[in-house]
Amino acid sequence: MTDSVVVADHCSKWYGQVLGVSDVSWRLGGGVIGLLGPNGAGKSTLIKMIGGLLRPSRGTLTVYGQNPFDDVGVRRRIGYAPEHENTWDELSAFELVSAMARLAGVAAGKADQAAKDALAHMGMTGAMYRRVRGFSKGMRQRTKLATALAHDPDFLLLDEPLTGVDPVARVDIIERIKQLGAAGKTIVVSSHVLYEIEALTSDILVIYRGQVLAEGNVYEIRRLIDRHPHRIRVECDRPRTLAAALAREDHVAKISVERSAVLIETIDPDRCYEQLATTVLAEDLAVTALSSPDNNLGAVFEYLTGEGGRR
Amino acid sequence: MTPLPATAWSTVRTLAGVTLKRLGRGKALWIGAMIAALPVVYAAIVHAAQRLVSPDDLFIFLRPLLALLPAMFVAASIGEEIEDRTSTYLWSRAIERWAVLAGKLCALAPIVIALIVGAWLLSTEILTRAAPTVVSCVALAAGALVASLTAAGIATAVPRHGMALTIGYMLVDNFVGVLPISLRTISITHQTRVLAHLEGGPFVVATPVIALAAIAVVWGTIGFVRIRRLES
Repeated sequence: MTDSVVVADHCSKWYGQVLGVSDVSWRLGGGVIGLLGPNGAGKSTLIKMIGGLLRPSRGTLTVYGQNPFDDVGVRRRIGYAPEHENTWDELSAFELVSAMARLAGVAAGKADQAAKDALAHMGMTGAMYRRVRGFSKGMRQRTKLATALAHDPDFLLLDEPLTGVDPVARVDIIERIKQLGAAGKTIVVSSHVLYEIEALTSDILVIYRGQVLAEGNVYEIRRLIDRHPHRIRVECDRPRTLAAALAREDHVAKISVERSAVLIETIDPDRCYEQLATTVLAEDLAVTALSSPDNNLGAVFEYLTGEGGRR
Repeated sequence: MTPLPATAWSTVRTLAGVTLKRLGRGKALWIGAMIAALPVVYAAIVHAAQRLVSPDDLFIFLRPLLALLPAMFVAASIGEEIEDRTSTYLWSRAIERWAVLAGKLCALAPIVIALIVGAWLLSTEILTRAAPTVVSCVALAAGALVASLTAAGIATAVPRHGMALTIGYMLVDNFVGVLPISLRTISITHQTRVLAHLEGGPFVVATPVIALAAIAVVWGTIGFVRIRRLES
């Protein structure tokens, strides 16, 4: 019992009339686990309950045997990177991460060095004295991850850490998260994109409409999802150039160009992400956002729960 | 090695430092200073026109500062932290939540006090060619502190509308404070004026001090209790 990092026992959370998480019973022993589910599935609610930001409406949830909402001590072992981008934008990345390290209990004399180390680990050394206000999405994500890392926690909660990140940074951040996992940290990472989770770990918890649908290995769900085309939306300065480069690839089922974006439907997301990164570098494209609309994942979940078949 | 949780004092100090740094890099401080300068401008105009105005009349122009400045600085800062969800970074840290509110107040209440007392000092000096009484300055500082605690309580309870509600509350407080009825006992502006001893007559200390302390305790308790239960 005490070996488990997280123990959720019939845990539910409502926001007024809206259900966030419903009757979740789950045990996390350690390692890197991916929380997979479409937007609004309850991933962030579960992560916030684990991080001590929300209290369960019903049931219990413990982290290292303690209630994370009420127990200040257990939160020192947790590093949390939220899904939203808002932060103290007036500060530089270094000031932000250093302040967060001090708030997490790092002594004032060591917090600056801890901040520098965390930012360096996330590849932000060159931009650490710039204000967060001017950062791209990718730099914000790296800074957020550095705030979670700076106090060297045992347990990391990363809520959608790859959202909006360009393909090159995506590969880099995935590699850095994997390094943390290899270093023995327990990591819960959420995403609505299977391929992001798959790149990080093979252990997943599938959440849909607040309930745990499945837990275990990623390959079975991957097989189901592969039947549905995966959609990727890339915002960049020259969408036509990107579309032209990808249109001839056999894995691209459909491609459409919007004013400043390209919407790609692919049957082989891994190859598509690889080629995206290569093309962006080769054509020197300025990518401002990259996202994966999760309508297709939602369809798969409806299929899994049988709701699609009942329609 | 995982560090120990941050001490409450360290949290207060860090939060106060961050709050001041953010304030210094934004526009709010300059806007607040311009608002605080309005009574000084009024005093200069009246002085130039060679009209006679008593300090009690001048105080009428100070009262809106008690409504606006705590709302602008304290309520806006706390409300924004909660509404913009930057508080999620704080609630996930190993810190005592009350220390977050204390840190904000430690940074912002002195600024509110300095602006209000500074405006009082300058405008009285311009108008009367003499410094205001120490008692009146202390009274205004106390009033500004209680208004800041009120703003903190309101913003913690209703973060989305904290600034607007604080202004509304303080405007009602202003109105109640001039009514010749016992209800004005709970008015911050009225008790500040009584404590400042602007009306002349016997100098009463106990009643305004007790009333201001009671208002501070009520709103402070609301703020500190509410922040412990806030979810993100």
